[in-house]
Amino acid sequence: MNPQVLIDGLISGSMIGLGAIGLTLVYSILRFPNFAHGELITWGAYFAMSVAALLGGLVAGATAPLGPFSFGWGLIVAAVVAMGLTAVLALALDTVLFKLFRQRQSVMIIVVMASFGASMALRSLLEFIYTARPGYFTRELQIAMPLGGGMRATPDQLLALAMTGVLVVAVHLLLTRTPTGRAMRAVSENPGLAGLFGVDVDKVIRTVWILGAALACAAGIIAGLLVQIRPYMGFDLLLPLFAAAILGGIGSVPGAILGGLIVGLGEALAVQFVGAQWRAGVAFFILIAILLVRPTGIFGRQA
Amino acid sequence: MSVPVIATRGYVAGYERDLPIVKGIDFTLAKGEFVAIFGPNGAGKSTFVKAIAGVVPCFGGTVELDGADITGHKPHEILKRGMAFVPQTENIFTTLTIRENLQLASQPLPRERQTGAIERMFEMFPDLARQSGRLAGALSGGQRQMLAAARALLLEPSVLVLDEPSAGLSPKLVSDVFATLKEISQSGVTILLVEQNVRAALRIVERGVVLVDGQLRYDASAQELIDHPNLGALFLGAEGAHA
Amino acid sequence: MSPELVAYGAFFLTMALTYAIVCLGLNVQWGQTGLFNVGIAAFVAVGAYGSAILTTPDTADRIGGFGLPLFAGWAGGAALAALLAFLIGWLTIRLRADYLAITTFGVSVTVQLAALNLTSLTGGPFGISFIPRPFGDLAGNALAFSLANLAIVAGVVLVTYLILERLVRSPWGRVLRAIREDEVAAQALGKSPKWLRIQAFTLGGAIMGLAGAVQAHFIGFIAPENYLPMITFQVWAMLIVGGSGNNRGAILGAILVWALWALSGQLIEATFPAGSQARAASLRLVVIGVALCVILLWRPQGILREVRTLSRHAIKGK
Repeated sequence: MNPQVLIDGLISGSMIGLGAIGLTLVYSILRFPNFAHGELITWGAYFAMSVAALLGGLVAGATAPLGPFSFGWGLIVAAVVAMGLTAVLALALDTVLFKLFRQRQSVMIIVVMASFGASMALRSLLEFIYTARPGYFTRELQIAMPLGGGMRATPDQLLALAMTGVLVVAVHLLLTRTPTGRAMRAVSENPGLAGLFGVDVDKVIRTVWILGAALACAAGIIAGLLVQIRPYMGFDLLLPLFAAAILGGIGSVPGAILGGLIVGLGEALAVQFVGAQWRAGVAFFILIAILLVRPTGIFGRQA
Repeated sequence: MSVPVIATRGYVAGYERDLPIVKGIDFTLAKGEFVAIFGPNGAGKSTFVKAIAGVVPCFGGTVELDGADITGHKPHEILKRGMAFVPQTENIFTTLTIRENLQLASQPLPRERQTGAIERMFEMFPDLARQSGRLAGALSGGQRQMLAAARALLLEPSVLVLDEPSAGLSPKLVSDVFATLKEISQSGVTILLVEQNVRAALRIVERGVVLVDGQLRYDASAQELIDHPNLGALFLGAEGAHA
Repeated sequence: MSPELVAYGAFFLTMALTYAIVCLGLNVQWGQTGLFNVGIAAFVAVGAYGSAILTTPDTADRIGGFGLPLFAGWAGGAALAALLAFLIGWLTIRLRADYLAITTFGVSVTVQLAALNLTSLTGGPFGISFIPRPFGDLAGNALAFSLANLAIVAGVVLVTYLILERLVRSPWGRVLRAIREDEVAAQALGKSPKWLRIQAFTLGGAIMGLAGAVQAHFIGFIAPENYLPMITFQVWAMLIVGGSGNNRGAILGAILVWALWALSGQLIEATFPAGSQARAASLRLVVIGVALCVILLWRPQGILREVRTLSRHAIKGK
């Protein structure tokens, strides 16, 4: 086996994992699989691209590559702004859509359908604004550095891996060690009781959207940096995200990232041994396998 | 007369607007009182206390807590104003540890008072202190009720509302729970509880009210209720079968 | 009216009615049973490809091409889609409602992928052409051809509708609705909700497969891009607009939404320059997505309500 498969799998797996964390948090705390989560990834990437382009036009040197990386400081600023904008988008979507279903106590599957409709609307809106032509953060080409053992990676790819690691640890600590995380876990188990314990459930829901959207945006930026930015990028990631979230166990942050890495590695293996055209089918087979063997996922609680 | 702790006027509540379960209740609870709500199944006892606590929507009338209108407020706001409500079931977080349950309950307090409040509960319920690191889901029925009571008392509420704290417990545990409630009441906390265990409850409460079909039918001291021959035949007799 | 206009009208109505069949299938799954299928496109595609492979004449570059008669193709397409629905249903319906949604979404991605890449079976991106069309020998006369096709598709809709209406009123249909409204009570009656749901999901899948087959033979040509997730959206919009739980509503919704779709397409063609038509078309999808959300919020029971009184539980959680 070509050891490069490992690096390729880790890199795409970390993107999937980052997206899956947001998905799994919303899934466990708001209690529905959000089919519009992929669109948060896409919108996040487009927000970052637009802000970075704006900065590049306004400030000379914003796009000059930093050190070994392919992008300038403009993208770093743009990433922070884009995370904020994606969070605002998620909160707006909650206000005009999901919150109304919560107030009506609609059955979950109606909310799933609405998220499906919202994903269509958001994706097509992007296509309308930016057209289907792919976009790029940078035109710089990077040379992959040898890492030893026959593996190579570009500095951008290594940075993406490191960033994923930092974000995952941060979210995990937030959930397990802080009052906010405790409140989130409480709402996830029983939102009604959380209110009686003094938890402001609406505030927790806002926090979850902000967190999930910011992570989705980060995944979108990494995907945009390493591949390209397309209106369908998030939608195409949706099945791998669901597979990762279910594989890891819904609500589990370490599970989501582990699930993401497994799906990413599976895809890389499929590309090498079966053919690149079958890559998108890997997530489905992992999903079917986990539903057959252990539907609660690796870290899932028995229902 | 001082302001009642809880006062409802023409209170209407339920799960659907066109199908109210609580159909216009005027009820007051004075400071320091210990009162039980009785009534046959489906009379609206649980719905009434859940609605007061903000869990079930109110469709008409008002409810005041210490003189302030709390009609339609959210549960966490009502808790901060001094009313702690303990549901009948699912009243603790089974996926959090005992300590985490209490930590969560202490979050409305200023940070510097949180640890002290938790320690005070551990002194009051040494059983819980001994296993503070265990998942609450691993506790027995009686211990769960203790944890549920501890988290409710942690914020030193002016009134404690409990929905059938004795449901599903063995007779020995029922008397333990009632003894604990009696102590809490004697320490000055106002208590309102819903009970099916009429005879046992009448031994500890000061006053009882009877709900029938969403309306308040009877309101009397515990002694009067015990002595009342008609009520016994009409209602307590039938309910006695459950006790 | 000119014969061209009548022919066009018949063509339009025939397309709408093929969607009406899909919609009837979805109504069995969602309207009657409450099962959420996000992979409608996959079941339609399996029916279309299945029937196409069975009925097309033998070709050198593709496996299959059995040259079977039309009705064998329809039956085969429906059976293949039913098999797929059964497997998916068996796997997920015992788990959670949301897992069915996610899995059917995965099926739609995977079937699309298979249609694109199993070139030796599906013709790959170029698809399958020369699918035998009913009344193909009338093709010289556009009017007669269109009307004959309209008649045969309308016949399929009618037969499907009548069978489903009978089923809705049968004990089987009543138990299905009973478990949708109150699973615990139905279980107490000794009914196995899971097995009944799998049956309903399979039946719905078979009808979608039949619709795919009928549509493929009407158009005479299929390719993977005919079965994008957009179809799933359209059919959902049709059922939700028409009224879930109501078979007549499903047919009405299909015609209505297809009309709006076709009209807005013509409007875009007429108003936008060729270069920006793709952009304008994406705006149309925004409208569909928003409309789906608005209907779900504002009138989840659709234009025509379910014939029997709809329990509150179908809309509200307990």
